[in-house]
Amino acid sequence: MERLMEMAKKVTDGAEIYALDETGDGVGFENGRLKEIESKSQSGVSLRIIKNGNLGFAYTKNLINPEEFLQNALDSLKGKVEAPFEFPFTRPVTPLNTFDPSVERLSNGTLVEECQRICDYLASKTEGQVNVSAGRGTGRIRILNSRGTGVSTTSSVYGLHTSLLFPNSYASIHRPWVHKGFERAPDPYLRFILETYTQSLKEVQMRGGRMKVLFLPETLYALLWRIQSVTNGKNVYQKVSPAAGRLNEKVFDEKLTLYDDPLNDQVPGAREFDDEGVPSRYFPVIDKGVLTQFYYDLYYAGKMGVSATGHGYKSAMWGGEAISFKPSPSLEHLSMKAGGKSFEELLRLMDRGVLIAGVMGAHSGNILNGDFSIGLSPGLYVENGEVLGHIKDAMVAGNIFDTMNHIIELENTFHPASGGMFPAILFDGVSVATKG
Amino acid sequence: MFPLMRSILSKTDSDYSDVRYEMKRETVITFNGKELTQISSNSTDGYVLRVLKRGGLSSVAFTRETDADRALRTVEENALLIARHIREPVRFAKTEILRKTVQPSLEEDPRRVSMDEKLELTRGYNSIPLGHEGIVTTITGYSEVIREKYFLNTEGAEIREDLVTTRLSSSITSKVGTLIQNVRLGLGGSQGFRHVRNQEAEFEKKTSICLDLLKAEPVQGRRVNVVLNPSLAGVFTHEAFGHFSEADLIEDSPTLRARMKIGEKFGNEGLNIIDDPTLPGQLGFYQYDDEGVAARPTRLMEKGVLAGRLHSRRTAAAFGEPLSGHCIAEDYRYAPIIRMGNIFIEPGSHTFNDLLGKLGDGLYLLDSMGGETSGENFTFGAQYGYEVEGGRLGKMIRDINISGNLFQTLENIRAVGNDLVLSKVGGCGKGQLNIRSCNGGPHILVHDVVVGGR
Repeated sequence: MERLMEMAKKVTDGAEIYALDETGDGVGFENGRLKEIESKSQSGVSLRIIKNGNLGFAYTKNLINPEEFLQNALDSLKGKVEAPFEFPFTRPVTPLNTFDPSVERLSNGTLVEECQRICDYLASKTEGQVNVSAGRGTGRIRILNSRGTGVSTTSSVYGLHTSLLFPNSYASIHRPWVHKGFERAPDPYLRFILETYTQSLKEVQMRGGRMKVLFLPETLYALLWRIQSVTNGKNVYQKVSPAAGRLNEKVFDEKLTLYDDPLNDQVPGAREFDDEGVPSRYFPVIDKGVLTQFYYDLYYAGKMGVSATGHGYKSAMWGGEAISFKPSPSLEHLSMKAGGKSFEELLRLMDRGVLIAGVMGAHSGNILNGDFSIGLSPGLYVENGEVLGHIKDAMVAGNIFDTMNHIIELENTFHPASGGMFPAILFDGVSVATKG
Repeated sequence: MFPLMRSILSKTDSDYSDVRYEMKRETVITFNGKELTQISSNSTDGYVLRVLKRGGLSSVAFTRETDADRALRTVEENALLIARHIREPVRFAKTEILRKTVQPSLEEDPRRVSMDEKLELTRGYNSIPLGHEGIVTTITGYSEVIREKYFLNTEGAEIREDLVTTRLSSSITSKVGTLIQNVRLGLGGSQGFRHVRNQEAEFEKKTSICLDLLKAEPVQGRRVNVVLNPSLAGVFTHEAFGHFSEADLIEDSPTLRARMKIGEKFGNEGLNIIDDPTLPGQLGFYQYDDEGVAARPTRLMEKGVLAGRLHSRRTAAAFGEPLSGHCIAEDYRYAPIIRMGNIFIEPGSHTFNDLLGKLGDGLYLLDSMGGETSGENFTFGAQYGYEVEGGRLGKMIRDINISGNLFQTLENIRAVGNDLVLSKVGGCGKGQLNIRSCNGGPHILVHDVVVGGR
């Protein structure tokens, strides 16, 4: 890699090498039985170069021939993609505590035992179908650039996912359990899934309308996706964000304080720098309902004439090969300020409403506009603070600029969920459509 | 490639093993608004090794040839670990042992078209929406994915098949005041570069729909009868019914498996659904799946009765049903799983006007905006639609998502149109992305769906 950098420096005005090595193992149980074990070990390198104000790009899985690889990046300059930025100089900082060596010692046998233990426990309490998966992963990212940046980070993650499925469905009560190292899932985690499932097992009918709706942490991503979209520097630059021009305005309920916290190494995946080598920092997006700032990668920061905020990540909506993506603005470490009520207290605030335990079709609809219209998979009907059962064929719909202004209260506890650590949130006056 | 793969397989100590090597060549051109943001052409590669040992099946994906020995130890250990824990040992259905080399038949090989020409073509299409007042931005891209696949197993199969996929896509965004609307367009397929040429009219059409949406009204959330256009009929067939026909998705769900019995009646007499990866010229075309099984047309529903299922070698043996050749991987990073190829509702006898007449009052919904299933329940979005009153198209509506129950909706398909359109771009994300997932159908009349609205 150092040789590639030396070669690149001679023929370009700037160069950046991003190298990724990953290993992982995953174990899956379906209906209480071991179904599969899969392992992977993947690596790859991508190269960005700047020459005469243009950006070149190439990637490979095996860096066997650096000359050919560099030539491929040089060839891509012909398209004249503008490079409105320079690669940053970033000093290595005191590393965060992102790697727990216990993950390396974790055998697939232990993963199987842990899943089996959970299946056996739940099977002794309910007749519902139990699916459990567990996995571990390690990763190393190195970024070098021609300005002298040479930084690297390692990561480890242990994750478990437990689902109790409703009959005739993949709809389930489910919750992830995620740590940097191996930790057995504790009783309260299992009890929450079991109790919520047991309470909601019966299918009930309900009439739609505007009502209180409680999003569980694992379903909040459907709403946060819209907030991420309207605060994305790329959408601001392209003038398709309804939040553009509203900086320092109160756009949401003052109970909402939303921030990106890449330096929090209590949770897996903390980062000292983004995928472009720009240093990470604590980054408020919404402060007590006020829109504080938009987030940028190098490219869109350059286009807007502002500083990059450390949010250039090689991620895409549907997974895929990180080395093959160019960085784009992304909030990878979202969190929010917790509220003052326990989950049980939130439930008790609901005279009549729906608890959203799973969502379908969050990717569909007019996301740019902040609209959502999502299927419930499942929705649980709540009356006077009590879960009476689950409902079918129901949808909730709205727009975040309306819904996020009707927050009744947030839960006082964080749970690992898709996209970060979140509490449950209770909203008022959300439109629910049902078959009943 | 095969000698190296053979030497990897020769070191396995198993009841069955296979190895797949893939070279993936990907060309990407992307415009964000008027700016070109990516142009690149790159190759990536890797291996996937599967081992069946004492009834345990496991897989490992690795990048470097030098990692083969370690990968082999890992996958054998994992297979034995599974063998110790499962009740029913995994068996593979018997299949013909094939030695084949297949090159796709292309109308203009994209590899012979210069990057400059691809760039200018994409730029030209992108400038169509951007030339209209009210269109604020676009994301327009050309992509080309060429998978060169090599498959070898210990039974003696040796298959080389290349898949060439071209894709021209655009997301067009309009805006007035704070209202933002968006439509999508996707063209291309498995048949070569010719199919992304001369598509200006499609860009013009979608641009004007995107502008019209600014004046459309949000749909009222309610329970309503609808006519779905072929794009939405295809998404329904794929999301709601198709996934249920994938044996791996139902095998471990006792309730779903009991429900999806072959011979069970689900829909009305006029409903026939088929998945046929061998349909020439369609996006989902292939001849051999990633287990070396020849793909075959599979009738899934006949006259409303469940008639067949999509299988891998493992599930075909477990269900005691015929092989279908539907076990496909995204690329060299994954072991194959059961996927749809070209799934569609067969055309019936009704003209579009017949269907509107039968609908009377309701909605006419068009063009998919993404969908998802969760067992018997599904949700999907439509890009736009029209109110229908007395069988006549009325005002345009927006913000449309519909939700329903598979079994009820199959019963509620009241009439099937006499046209047939299959999708030109795909993207099914069942753990892995399948860019050749193809679906379609005729216009269909469906009663009683829940429209979410806003």
